[in-house]
Amino acid sequence: MSFKVIKAGIFATLQDRGRFSFTHLGVTNSGVMDEYATLTAHQLLNNDLNDNILEITFSNVELQANDTTTICITGASCKFTINDEQKSTWQTHKIQKGDTVRIGKILEGQRVYLAVKNGFDIPKEFGSNSTTIKESLGGISGVQIKNNDILPYAKYDGKIINRWKEEHIPKYSSELTLRVLLSYQENSFSVTEKEKFFNSTYTVTPDFNRMACKLKGEAIESSLDGIISEAITFGSIQIPKDGQPIILLKERQTIGGYPKIGSVLSIDCFKLAQMKIGSTIKFKEIDITTAQEKLKDFYSTFIH
Amino acid sequence: MEIKLASVDSVIIYFSDTISKKTSLEVKSAYKLLKSLGDKNLIEIVPSYTSILITYDIFKYNFEEIQSFLKKLLKDLKTEKESALEIINVDVYYGEEVGLDLKRVADKANISVEEVIEIHSSKIYDVFAIGFLPGFAYMATVDERIVTSRLESPRKKIPKGSVAIADTQTAIYPQNSPGGWNILGKTTFELFDKTLESLSPITIESRIKFNPISKELFLKQGGVLEF
Repeated sequence: MSFKVIKAGIFATLQDRGRFSFTHLGVTNSGVMDEYATLTAHQLLNNDLNDNILEITFSNVELQANDTTTICITGASCKFTINDEQKSTWQTHKIQKGDTVRIGKILEGQRVYLAVKNGFDIPKEFGSNSTTIKESLGGISGVQIKNNDILPYAKYDGKIINRWKEEHIPKYSSELTLRVLLSYQENSFSVTEKEKFFNSTYTVTPDFNRMACKLKGEAIESSLDGIISEAITFGSIQIPKDGQPIILLKERQTIGGYPKIGSVLSIDCFKLAQMKIGSTIKFKEIDITTAQEKLKDFYSTFIH
Repeated sequence: MEIKLASVDSVIIYFSDTISKKTSLEVKSAYKLLKSLGDKNLIEIVPSYTSILITYDIFKYNFEEIQSFLKKLLKDLKTEKESALEIINVDVYYGEEVGLDLKRVADKANISVEEVIEIHSSKIYDVFAIGFLPGFAYMATVDERIVTSRLESPRKKIPKGSVAIADTQTAIYPQNSPGGWNILGKTTFELFDKTLESLSPITIESRIKFNPISKELFLKQGGVLEF
């Protein structure tokens, strides 16, 4: 019971919510860039929220099923067909033996998620299926999917028909405001520098991948040249010497030595994951109490 | 000790703002204590030179609660003795076929290659942090006589097992990687063995001693000379 990869596209990787509790050995968390799209897909399939999923960054992925299952596509809007018939994303679809699933052109957003009922049946490494290429960990053999790969799943003949409410489906635009908790070395940034940071508009540069998103705009200056290397969390905003903010994402290095002005609220990083190069970013301050409430609200939506 | 906000679900504990053996021992002792709790709500505990980052389950602790929990826990922290840390011996072949920068380090220090090897292998190094790559341990302190700064232009590939120095630090490359450290030798010691899962041989609590071996023994251990 499996999908055969007919066309692997350029960069599609198996992911889940990440690899935890090995960071002290230098192993990054990795995991899906957009948890909203991922958790929604799993919720619609009544999957375990920790199940794995295929994260597709560029178009042209084609899979052929050799048995019955149910799938759900979420994330970036795209041309999605089953046997050349146009289908809707953010809802479940039954798949029969011989069906061809195709993710064509990506229209809005950056990352498409393809979940299968009960997840793909592949062994975990260090507790996770998340692919981290630089560590050769996860996925099928530590790399992105390739043509002719086999993505196994357990046959599922049941009936699930679910659809995400239209008003909850994100609209990906070219502008985004990220909520920021001032933290880490925030004291090394003067009031003027902080004002600059919160009042400027930044642009997403091509240096945007699963590791980090580099922005371009008004330079921000820290009074520190560098810091003693320390662990860096998801969403941390590093300010290197050129003053251009770098937001650290799922495959970030585990420790680093640049001063950090703060951290983007994790659930906002999921929105960032869908922004195209050239999109504009603004920052807005949030306090820790409100931030933690927002985070709880987010995850409470997905707890069965 | 100071506990600061890191992100929505993480705090960072700073033990000092300078690197020292004393601070490192405090970090290691606190790390050991935190680990020993076996608290699943502490999702990540990541030590470094002078700090420990903790990522926690916000459904279990809010920011106030984690702070007071940590403060209380670490209030009377007993710093462990250095001698309590395990010493790991790492066999190294210090040959010029694999130690590409041996000669340069020696020339710069105005000593012989043999002296460089003697100096590098006679110390016991402490692990100050692990990061950059899985199993990449930052060890210190390299004897000041052979302190050498990073290469001006990093190599595209440093082979797995290379033993190298940069400034006062030394490390073993756990896998092939680009890098700018000065290579002195090579080992077959596995720093990050996937088959061992959590059992990485080197942790922040390890102390490392390099043991010079002959080319014959290195080859017998499965070492490869090719760059």
